[in-house]
Amino acid sequence: MISFFVSVFTFTWLYHHSFWYRSEDADDYNNPDEIAVGVFPKHNDDMRLEVAWTIAPFILIVWLTYVSWVPLDAVWSETGEDGYHGEECEEGQSSNNQLDDYGVVTSECYHVIEITGKQWVWAFDCLDLSTELCDTGSDNIEVYGTVPLLSLKTGETYLANMRSEDVTHAPWFLGMGVKEDTLYGAQIGPSEYNWPTTLWLPISDIVDDQIILCTEYCGDAHSVMAGKLVVHQ
Amino acid sequence: MNRKSMRTLLVLSAIAMAMVVSPAVVSYPTGIQGVKDSGCNCHGATTSSEVVPSITGLPDQYNYSESYEIVVSFVGGPASPTNSNQGGFNLWVSDGELSPSDATVQSYNPNEVSHTEAGNDQTSWTLTWTSPSSDRNVEFILHANSVNGNADGANGGSSGDMWNKLTAKVSPPVLVLEEADPFVVLSTLIVVSAILLAFTLAYVFYRTNPESFTWDYFAPWIADWLTTTDHKKVGTLYFVAGLFFLGVGGIMAMMIRIQLAVPGNDFLTQDQYNQFFTLHGTTMIFLAAMPLINGFANWMVPLQIGAPDLALPRLNAMSFWLQPVGALLIFTGVFSGSGADTGWTGYAPYVVSETAHMGTTMWVAGQIMLVASSTLTGINFLTTIAVMRAPGMGWLQMPLFTWSILIANLMLFLSIPAFGIGLIQVYLDRVIGTAFYDVSAGGDPLLWSHLFWYFGHPEVYVVIVPAFGVISEVIATSARRSIFGYRSMVYAMAGIGVVSFIVYGHHMFTSGMSPTLRFVTMLTTMLVAVPTGIKIFNWLKTMHGGSLVYRTHTLWTLGFLVTFTLGGISGMFFPSIAMDLHLHESYFVVAHFHYVLVGGTVFGFYAAIYYWFPKMSGRMLDEKLGVLHFLVGFISYNALFWPMHRLGVWGMARRHHTYFVTTEEAMGALPIEAAGWNMFISVSAFIFFFSNFIMVANMIKTLIRGEKAPPDPWGGWSFEWMTASPPPTPSFDPHNLPVLTDANEHIANEPGTLSKLFNRLMVSEEDTEEVTH
Repeated sequence: MISFFVSVFTFTWLYHHSFWYRSEDADDYNNPDEIAVGVFPKHNDDMRLEVAWTIAPFILIVWLTYVSWVPLDAVWSETGEDGYHGEECEEGQSSNNQLDDYGVVTSECYHVIEITGKQWVWAFDCLDLSTELCDTGSDNIEVYGTVPLLSLKTGETYLANMRSEDVTHAPWFLGMGVKEDTLYGAQIGPSEYNWPTTLWLPISDIVDDQIILCTEYCGDAHSVMAGKLVVHQ
Repeated sequence: MNRKSMRTLLVLSAIAMAMVVSPAVVSYPTGIQGVKDSGCNCHGATTSSEVVPSITGLPDQYNYSESYEIVVSFVGGPASPTNSNQGGFNLWVSDGELSPSDATVQSYNPNEVSHTEAGNDQTSWTLTWTSPSSDRNVEFILHANSVNGNADGANGGSSGDMWNKLTAKVSPPVLVLEEADPFVVLSTLIVVSAILLAFTLAYVFYRTNPESFTWDYFAPWIADWLTTTDHKKVGTLYFVAGLFFLGVGGIMAMMIRIQLAVPGNDFLTQDQYNQFFTLHGTTMIFLAAMPLINGFANWMVPLQIGAPDLALPRLNAMSFWLQPVGALLIFTGVFSGSGADTGWTGYAPYVVSETAHMGTTMWVAGQIMLVASSTLTGINFLTTIAVMRAPGMGWLQMPLFTWSILIANLMLFLSIPAFGIGLIQVYLDRVIGTAFYDVSAGGDPLLWSHLFWYFGHPEVYVVIVPAFGVISEVIATSARRSIFGYRSMVYAMAGIGVVSFIVYGHHMFTSGMSPTLRFVTMLTTMLVAVPTGIKIFNWLKTMHGGSLVYRTHTLWTLGFLVTFTLGGISGMFFPSIAMDLHLHESYFVVAHFHYVLVGGTVFGFYAAIYYWFPKMSGRMLDEKLGVLHFLVGFISYNALFWPMHRLGVWGMARRHHTYFVTTEEAMGALPIEAAGWNMFISVSAFIFFFSNFIMVANMIKTLIRGEKAPPDPWGGWSFEWMTASPPPTPSFDPHNLPVLTDANEHIANEPGTLSKLFNRLMVSEEDTEEVTH
């Protein structure tokens, strides 16, 4: 929306000036800035205008930063009380996630799953979750061939710990618009700098079956390193 | 130059060429990619003529979708009915489907069948081939092996096995041309372009003096070009090299677009596609954009500041000659069929992994040379601009193009060492087994990303800031005003230069880097909009009250303002991290950076070509062809890149060799309309590609019989318009340098608003008076 206004403003100005100040006849021009070869021309400036269009975009970006903040908190939510999804669920407990008007999902608790990338196939692991909550398998999508399948339950929220066995990959959950790299090495060694990357997968009732693609270039079969997310009730 | 040194030069260049080419010859892969290429290497590595395979039952010409029963057999070799096993086979077909007729044959996939365990004791097998439903030249590759049946080791064991290969071809009902190998297409086009360039060169030499069109005159003429240190000639060399590689990068882009025109296309294999996009990126950034910029910088900076030449002319020649050699290295891998396949970003650990192609090593080596070249260029321009300005020209009286080159080189100079270090680490990792990026040995997978983007982000500003300089020059001259807010333009460029170093994290929002750092770079990235906004508004205000003269360069400048603004706005979606998590690595990114790099840098430099070509060549370009180029180019450009935004939002990922749309039968990643849009993009891409030849034709036509250019055809004020077109050598007489006067002299000593404010804050006027008394 803002983009639209900025572009309308800029382009109207551009088109207006492009034609309004078009040269009709080259000769009767009075050369207001005394342009001549070898002479640095007269300054043509206006401090107030320049400051105005320094401050206006600045206010705009402050506002943009502010509006980008809420969804950012949601997609990178912490675990525990400060986060959107509470603590890890007890056995048998349901996340009961809720979608608010802004598209932000909050839940009572979350379940942990694991996603592993390797050249060139995804591996999903439900860890110790029951098949009612999470299931894996494989599916044949005509164009991609046999791809691994992850089946998750609507209304539940999942936190994926992600690992890689060789190079960097990134699962893109197309329909949810999220992705995060899987890093090789993030699980090797006890260094404090090595932690697996994580990805929140809140399966609210608007999430549908979708394709998972790899979006961090990983070599030959990168483009067909696909998976499928299926949601069940 | 005498004959002897000429000979030395030739021998040296032959050695240099040999050094560049020989690693490619050594690293030529055997091409082993599966049984169809290598044969049954499980049964001994070499073929034997004693085994004679055959295929019977194949037609010369097939009918659509018909099933043919074919028999695969062999004679000769150690096979004998008394052996427990006699032999086996592997049959691969390029099109149609192979299926087993009985239990002696098994299918690996529709294109490949082999014998089963049960089929091991015979010498012929029966199977079915279903021909394709369209016109294809079908190729069969059969490997048959004859065994002595003693795999346990008796009688020579399996080493007594022999195998041989047979290829057979079947024609379609309607004859079609053989499908070309994309690498052959690419190399042919590059060679053809190089030959055309050589012919153009010979023709330009011929035109300079038709009387003396002989080798005796040509040798010193070409030797002069090869050894020149004159900034104008080196500039021309950069310019020609840049345009040549713009064409090469364009050819690769066209082949990428052929591949993506329809879903599931197989014009390029995944492997080839990966090499094409890697080299497209590397070529366009390092071998096309940078040399084009350096070409104009070489030409114009000394002219604009009133210097006879660059400060270090020999270093300048060396900077240039590192480039073609680096380019050869970068392409070496491709000519051996195994070019770099890492993406221009070359992310670790993939770049050092075994799965990355061998050509990657050469690609890295070539880029190290380009790093050296850029560093030397940086030193040269910084020195020149700092010490060789004409009398009367202060820092804040330099033309804005010179300012842009200064800032670009400063950024490059400060950022490229990080890239150089990263490249050397990768090179060492790949050739002598160090472990900078070997994660299992404790290497950090993110280190490369940090080093690369610390350089990579300033780098994209290095290629856009000089375009800002060009636009500032052109718009002021065309509007016949002085640029609005000269000082704020300089500060804005410097601001972009400073901010560029602290925003690179926005390339790594999904990388697993510390969230705090990601958040900080989100804020700083947003900040870039401020100086860029200032520049756009200043350009627009420059037109206010002016009298805009419509020339081709004016049109490209206005075109730049449209596309760059759109590119800037689409860029504002990425710093919002939640948005970026969806858009990262999608076609939206591709659309954005082509809007700023093509719509920004390339359009800016097209404006520069039309603006400065009369100065460089002494000939006026044809305006009609120029306007035609602009109209066709601008429209097809937008048709090419605008729909990519939509594809990206839908979920088309970049660096994927193909994509699939959702149909009634199958679920794909994209809605079905995506197929139509991709075809539209590919068609537009070809129009855009060919529109650029209008400009090349225009340049050639003008060089042959163009109108002579006056010294100042457009009415610019800076020093380059003071010299003749083309300028003499040295560009200015070192003993009689031009002196810049300033139209603002009379107000130069009056305090500005800011100074007045400071004066009021610091010392009151009464106090000053007291002190003076």
